Amino acid sequence: MFNLLIGLGIGSLYACLGAGLVISFKGSGVINFAHGAMAMYGIFTFDRAWSGGEFFLPLVDFLPTSTVNVPVRITLSSAGRWPMIPSLILALLMAAALGLAAHFLVFRPLRNAAPLGKVIASLGLALYLQGVALVNFGTSFPQAKSIVPTEAVENFLGLGKTFPRNTIYVVAFTILLGFVIWAGYRFTRFGLATRAAAGNEKGAVLLGYSPQTLAAVNWVIASVTATLAVIIVGPIQGTITPVGLTALIVPALAAALIGGLRSVPIAVMGGLGLGAVQTLLDIKRSDWFTGPALGWLQSGVRNTLPLVVIVVVLFVRGKSLPSRGSVVERRLPLAPQPKRIFEHAFVWLTFLVLLAFVFENSGARTKFANSLQNGIVLSIIMLSIVVITGYTGQISLAQMTFAGIAAFFTARMMADGIGRGANLVPVTGFGLPWPVAGLIGVIMAVIVGVIIGIPAVRIRGVQLAVVTIAAAIAMQSVYFENDYITQLRAGVPAYIKTPTFFGVDIGARSARAQNENPNFVIFGGIVLALCAIAVANIRRGGVGRRFLAIRANERAAAAGGINVVRTKLLAFAISAGLAGIGGVMLGFKQVEVSSANFNYGFGLSVLAFAYLAGITSINGALIAGMLLSAGALLPTFSNYMFAGTNIDKYITLIGGLAIIVTAIANPGGVAIFLSEPFRHAGNWLVSAIPGMQTIRHAFRGPKSFMVRLVLVVICVGLAVWLRQAQFVDNVYLWVLISVVGFLILGMIFARSLDKLEPSFAEAGAQWNSWFKQFGVTAIAGYAAGWVIWPIRVDSYSKLWMPIVGAVLALFVRSIVKPILSNRASKTHGSDTDSDVANIRTEVG
Amino acid sequence: MALLEARGLSVRYGGLFANNSIDLECRAGQLVGLIGPNGAGKTTFIDAITGFTPVSSGEVVFDGVNLNDKAPNVRVALGLSRTFQSLELFEDLTVRDNLLVVAQRPKWHSVVTDVLWPGRDERKYHSQVRWALEMLQIESLAEAMPSDLSHGQRKLISVARSIVAKPQLVLLDEPAAGLDTAESHLLGERLRGLLAQDMSLFLIDHDMGLVLNVCDYIYVLDFGVIIAHGTPSEVRANPTVIAAYLGDSAGEAQAREGAALLSRESGSDAQSEMNQ
Repeated sequence: MFNLLIGLGIGSLYACLGAGLVISFKGSGVINFAHGAMAMYGIFTFDRAWSGGEFFLPLVDFLPTSTVNVPVRITLSSAGRWPMIPSLILALLMAAALGLAAHFLVFRPLRNAAPLGKVIASLGLALYLQGVALVNFGTSFPQAKSIVPTEAVENFLGLGKTFPRNTIYVVAFTILLGFVIWAGYRFTRFGLATRAAAGNEKGAVLLGYSPQTLAAVNWVIASVTATLAVIIVGPIQGTITPVGLTALIVPALAAALIGGLRSVPIAVMGGLGLGAVQTLLDIKRSDWFTGPALGWLQSGVRNTLPLVVIVVVLFVRGKSLPSRGSVVERRLPLAPQPKRIFEHAFVWLTFLVLLAFVFENSGARTKFANSLQNGIVLSIIMLSIVVITGYTGQISLAQMTFAGIAAFFTARMMADGIGRGANLVPVTGFGLPWPVAGLIGVIMAVIVGVIIGIPAVRIRGVQLAVVTIAAAIAMQSVYFENDYITQLRAGVPAYIKTPTFFGVDIGARSARAQNENPNFVIFGGIVLALCAIAVANIRRGGVGRRFLAIRANERAAAAGGINVVRTKLLAFAISAGLAGIGGVMLGFKQVEVSSANFNYGFGLSVLAFAYLAGITSINGALIAGMLLSAGALLPTFSNYMFAGTNIDKYITLIGGLAIIVTAIANPGGVAIFLSEPFRHAGNWLVSAIPGMQTIRHAFRGPKSFMVRLVLVVICVGLAVWLRQAQFVDNVYLWVLISVVGFLILGMIFARSLDKLEPSFAEAGAQWNSWFKQFGVTAIAGYAAGWVIWPIRVDSYSKLWMPIVGAVLALFVRSIVKPILSNRASKTHGSDTDSDVANIRTEVG
Repeated sequence: MALLEARGLSVRYGGLFANNSIDLECRAGQLVGLIGPNGAGKTTFIDAITGFTPVSSGEVVFDGVNLNDKAPNVRVALGLSRTFQSLELFEDLTVRDNLLVVAQRPKWHSVVTDVLWPGRDERKYHSQVRWALEMLQIESLAEAMPSDLSHGQRKLISVARSIVAKPQLVLLDEPAAGLDTAESHLLGERLRGLLAQDMSLFLIDHDMGLVLNVCDYIYVLDFGVIIAHGTPSEVRANPTVIAAYLGDSAGEAQAREGAALLSRESGSDAQSEMNQ
C-alpha cells in the first residue's frame, strides 16, 4: 500500500503527459510522439533562465562563422540567474509558441495526410527538438531544480514511514489539473465546440466554429500543461535529459489509451495507477520474480507493464477487420514496381566508386570505409521497413529490436565460454560457426517479429506504432539489458567473433582495429544486394501484390480471398528477417554490441529516415541507409567537407527538419527526386559507353544467364580490385587504370555478344550533347561553390566544395526543370483545400 | 438445387434487428435479386453471408457447407465472392493487379518461389484476368490506376474483380447505383452473360428496373424481414411490395415511375459519396 503511494509521484508525470496527449488528439486527431520532447524544451528553457540567466530560441546556427550569425542564445541577466516567476512565465510562453508552431507549421498542413505521415511528422518534430536541445543545452544537463518543497513527512498517515512531501503536492496538482481540464472541456463553449469538432469536423464548421482555430488552442493547452507538469513533477523523478524525457511518451501513451484517447480524468487515473503499480513492481521485483519461472522477468518487468496495458486495451477494442463506414484509409505514397535493376546497380556502383575516389584522395580512407560499412548495414534494416511499412502499410517502430535480437542471439550462439573484449566474464554458448549462428539469430528475429506482429491483426495505424514502440522498450529491458539472460554485467557489450570465409578474414576490423577491412564491404555488399533483389522480387510477385492489397484496403482484401491475418504476419516475418540480417551484419561490424546499438529511440529515427528517403522503394532504402543516416556516407562526407563545423552533431536536427518537410510536401521522399535522375543517369551511361546497349539487350535475350553470370563476375572482380587499392600509392593513376580497364573489359565482352552498340561515334556524340545540355549548369554550380561557400563557412575544402556546388546545381536543375515545364504546359488550378470550400461543394 | 441457403438468418445491432430470421435460397445458374428500400438490411444480409458481420442466429449453408464460423477469406476460397457498395478497389494497384491479386491463390511455398523467381507461375492467372476484363468489355483499362477512372468504370472493375477467381456465386452489392439508365441496361446484359459462364449471381439494387428485368427470382426485404418473393412478374404484381417500396398502393405504371425516381436518387447518393 505504501509502495503504491510512493509510485504516485512518477504516476503524476505519466498522468499529466497522458492528459496532454488526449487533448492534442481530441483537438487535431494526432497522437503526438513529440509531446515529451515539447515539454522537455519547456523545462530546459525554464531551468536555463532560472539558474543560468540565459534563453535559447528553439533553433541553432549550424554553420557558425565570424561574419554572419543567426541569433540563438539571449542573455537575460548577466548575473547568471533570473527570478523564478518570470522564468516560469517565459517557459510557458515558449511552450505556447511551440504548440502554435507545431499546429500551424506541422500538423495543420498534414490534416488530410495518412496516419503514417502524421506519425512521421511528430517523430521529425521530436528529433528536431531533441537535436536542438542537445546542441543548445548539451548532453550532460545538470539536475533541474524543483520548485516544490522537498522535505519529508515523518510517520505518514500513521504508517510509521517517512513520505516525501513533494509527492503529495505533485499528486494534488495532477488531480487538480485533471479536474480543471475536465471541467473546462465539459462546461465551456470552447470545450463543447472541441468535442463537436472531434465528433464531426465538418459539422463544427457548419455551426460556425473553425476546427483549425480550435485545434490551435488545443495544441497550446496540451503543450503548456505538459510543460507545467514536467516543471513541477519532473525534477523529483530524477535527472532530466532530452532523450529521457522524450521516452516518457510510452507510459504517457498507455495512460492516454486507458482513457480511450477521449477522457482526460480516466487518463489521469490511469497514469497515476500505472506509475503506482510500476513502482510497486520495481520495489517488490526481487521478492516476486525469482526462480527459473519468473526470474528472467525481474529486470524487465517495470518496462513491460506499459506494453501489457497498451496491448490489452487496444486488443480488446480492436476489430479483426475495419468495420463498414469507418473512415477511409488515407493513401500512402505509391509503391511502384522496381524496374531497371541493372541500371540502378550500375549507377549505385559508379556513385560509390566516385565517392571512394574523393575520400581516397583526401586521405580519409578509414572514414569512408567506416561510413560505407555503416551504410550497408543500415540499408539492410531500411529494406525491412520498406517491406513492413512501405508495402504492407503497418507502422512498426520495433525494427531495431528485431535487429538486436538477431545480433544478441548470434553473439550467444558463437560464444564459447571464454571472456573476450570488454566482457572478460565468460559467456556460455555453443561456439557455432558464424553462418549457423547468424541463421539462428535471424530465425529468432523472425519468431519475435511474428509475435510482435500478432497485435497488428486487430490493431491498425498509429495505434500499432504505439504497440510496437512499447514492445521495443519492453524487449530492450527484458532481453538486451537483462543479465539474467545475456550473462553480461550492466553496460558491458556482447562480443561477436570475427567471421571468416575459407580462412579469409571478412570481419569489419583491419589489423589496426579500425573499421576499414574492405573484405567486409564486399561481404556486406553481396548480402545487401541479395536482400535488395529479394525485396524487389517480393514486390514484383504475388506476395507483394497481396501486401499492397492489404495496405490499400483490408476489407476488400478479405473479400478477395486473401488471408489478411496470415499475410500480415508473413510481412512481419519477412521484415523481421531482413532486420535480423541487418542486425547480424551490424554485430559483425561492431564486434561488440550492446543495448545502445538497438535502442528503441534509434528505431524511431530509423523509421523517420526511411520515410525521408522514400519508404516505398528500394532506392529509398538505399538512400536512407547509405546516405542519410547518422554515420552513413553523407554526414561523413559533409563532416569532411565542412571541416571544423562538425555537422555530425546536427544530423538529428537537420534530419528532423527534413523529415517534417518531407511528410508535408513530398510524402514520396527523396527517392522521388532521384528516380528521374537515376533513370536518366542509367540511360545516359548506357548510351554513352560504347557497347553498353549491346549488353543490355542481351540481358533479356537467350544468352541472359551467361550475361548475368559475367556481370556478376565483373562486379565481384571490381570489388576485389577495389580491395587491392590499399596497396596503391598514386590514387589518380589507380582510378584511371581501373576505369579504363573495366571499360575495356566490358567492351570486349559486349563485342563478343554482338556488334558494339552504341558505337564509339554515337557515344562521343552523346558526351558532346550532355555537355551542351548540362555544361552551363555544372559550370555555374562549380563557380558558385568557389564564391558562395566561403562567406558562410570559415574552413572548407577548396578542392571539393566547387564540385559539390556543381553536383548540387545539377540536382536542383533536375527538380526545378520538370516543375517549370509542367507549369508551362498546363495552368494549374489553385488549391481550394480549405474546409469551407469542401463543404460547399458537398452541400451544393 | 440450392447453391446458397440462408435459414432463419438474423443479425442484431444492439436491440435492432437489421435482418430478422431471413429464409432465402439461391439456385445454381440463376440470377437472384434482393430489393428493398434504404435501410431495409440488404447490405447487412450480404455482410452476414460473406462473414463481414457476425450472425446472431440462424445459419448460412453454401454448397452443402455450413459457413457460420468460417472467416471471410475461407468463404471466398469455397467459391463465394462479393462486391462492395462503396467499391473498395485497391487504389494503389493497377486494374490488372487489382484482378491478379484476387485471381491468385497462394500456396505455402509461394513466398519462396516469389523471392527466387517472381511471376514464375502467373501465366494461368493472367489469362484469367484477361477473361474477366473481356467479360465486362473493359480490356482497355488494364493498365490504368483505379483513381483515374470514372465511377461507372470503377463499378465494372469491382464486378470484374469479383468474378476473376471464377467463383460459383457472386454477391453484387448495388452494382448499378450511380450508373445512368443506359449504363445500367448494359450492365444488366453483361450480368446475364456471366450466367452462361457457369456462374450464379445474387444481386442487390435500388434500381427496380434493372432487378425486374434481369433477375430470375426476386426477394423483397423491408425492415429486415422478407415480405415477398417470386418471379419478377409475381413480385411486380404483389400489393405488399408496392406498398412497402413506394409507400402507397399505386399501380404498375406508377411503380415504374417510382423505380426510375429511386434510381436517380440512389445515383445522386453515390455522387455525393464520390465528392467526399
